[in-house]
Amino acid sequence: MKVAIIGVGQTSYGEHKKKSIDELVFESTQKALYDSGLQRDEIESVVTTGSDGLDGRAISNMITAGSSGAYLKDEVKVSDGGIYGLVMGYLRVASGLFDNSLIVSWTKSTESSPELVSNMAYDPFFLRDCGFNSVTSLAIEASAYVNIAKVKENDAADVVLKNRRNATRNHLSHLSGSPSKRAIISSNFVSYPIRKGHLPPKSDGACALVMASEKKAKSLDKYPAWILGLGWSRGEYEAGGGDSNKLFSLGKSSKMAYKMAKIKNPVDEIDVAEVSDITAYHEMMIYEALGFCGYGEGKELINDGVTKFGGKLPVNPSGGILSSNPIFASSLVRVAEAALQVMGHAGKRQVNNAEVALAHGFTAMSTQGSCVVILGN
Amino acid sequence: MEGDQIFVTQHWDIKYNHAAGETGSTFFKAIMDKKVILGKKCPKCKRILLPPRSFCERCFVETSEWVNVGKEGKIEAFTIVYEKFEGLPNPPYAIAYVLLDGASTAIANFVKGIDLKDINQALNHIKVGAKARVAFKRKREGRITDFWYEII
Repeated sequence: MKVAIIGVGQTSYGEHKKKSIDELVFESTQKALYDSGLQRDEIESVVTTGSDGLDGRAISNMITAGSSGAYLKDEVKVSDGGIYGLVMGYLRVASGLFDNSLIVSWTKSTESSPELVSNMAYDPFFLRDCGFNSVTSLAIEASAYVNIAKVKENDAADVVLKNRRNATRNHLSHLSGSPSKRAIISSNFVSYPIRKGHLPPKSDGACALVMASEKKAKSLDKYPAWILGLGWSRGEYEAGGGDSNKLFSLGKSSKMAYKMAKIKNPVDEIDVAEVSDITAYHEMMIYEALGFCGYGEGKELINDGVTKFGGKLPVNPSGGILSSNPIFASSLVRVAEAALQVMGHAGKRQVNNAEVALAHGFTAMSTQGSCVVILGN
Repeated sequence: MEGDQIFVTQHWDIKYNHAAGETGSTFFKAIMDKKVILGKKCPKCKRILLPPRSFCERCFVETSEWVNVGKEGKIEAFTIVYEKFEGLPNPPYAIAYVLLDGASTAIANFVKGIDLKDINQALNHIKVGAKARVAFKRKREGRITDFWYEII
């Protein structure tokens, strides 16, 4: 059973002081429905994904189900990142039990301390008391990577510059305007080797997608984004098993997705990618785990301009997470942006002749779980 | 209130009483009573797991044999934190995964005893591959913070 994305809805990303969480969710849902051409009444299943800890509500979809259009409908919440909502929606439609599914993800990062919430995600015996949070854990992973791949400050700064320049073409982006390389390289160390300039902003926002069966998608007067491949897997919770910088779960997930999409040579066969660049270093690690290059060679793709806008395989033409980070929604935004690219609806950030797109998202603090989606037109 | 917008400030304050389990309890009691670091061996892949687990998640079998690992090892990965985070100590502080002699997996803890004010100086000592040893608190309470690492 083929499944397609037929509608995309996004709020802008940034500080939304005038909207509550459910108002942001309502906005993105309305936009996705409008884009799909479906009415709420026609929606058969709804998948919501958000973080109870970040929302400050113990069962947050009690409130956001209504604003996701789920009144008296089949609704279920996925507690991993937004891209896992897409997995659930895909499975529901692919099962043949549902003709369509509406996926919604959100976070208001500015309402709490995401770092404190992330510290609470660690086990109370070993890691929570040892200074672990969403930034320090990524820094630990990056330190091993910098050491083994001989990554320079210049390489990390170039990743940030690439994505922030791309963000100037995305009207939804939280940050636009490109910082100077000097400003990035001289910004304070937050958690070595990560500097302030290597990290994303704290953004509010919501993203929604409408998925439909092949029959439904073909009956519409529009070009959908077909799901060609999908892969997801878990790594280990503890990062002490060695080589954690290789992002093992992502390697597994990408192989699964490539096999399903019959992709043998990702750099030649994929036209554009949206990856979860949670730090400047992680974008390079992700290239390697996705097989865009060998281990330790991520910096060369940056240096050679392969992944810049206009390069052979542009990565994060939207500006990526380094430009907008509505935490739980960020990985669903990657899918939304990849879908817009193959639909030809990406506006000023449209990559020419984008026929096959890859979206990557992860769950848990560093990269314990990951998901890869391949879309085509 | 900020301008015309109303904000409601709340916080969660929930007390939990988390069970460490038999494996966790044995590990923490050994640190507390004997200043010993214990790993657990997987009977199938033979890895000595630290932190000790009652099962090996790769082989999915129960672990049974306790192994007394060394108190020295090498840094596998680390960070030095310079920003204040809610819920975490006042900076600067260093955290490292250290592969202790005889263990197959590294265990994380704070690194103490190095002046962290000047990062370049600190990075001369705290780096991947640097040798570190376990140091114990005098008054131990059965917590991971009963020990830390010092650079040798």
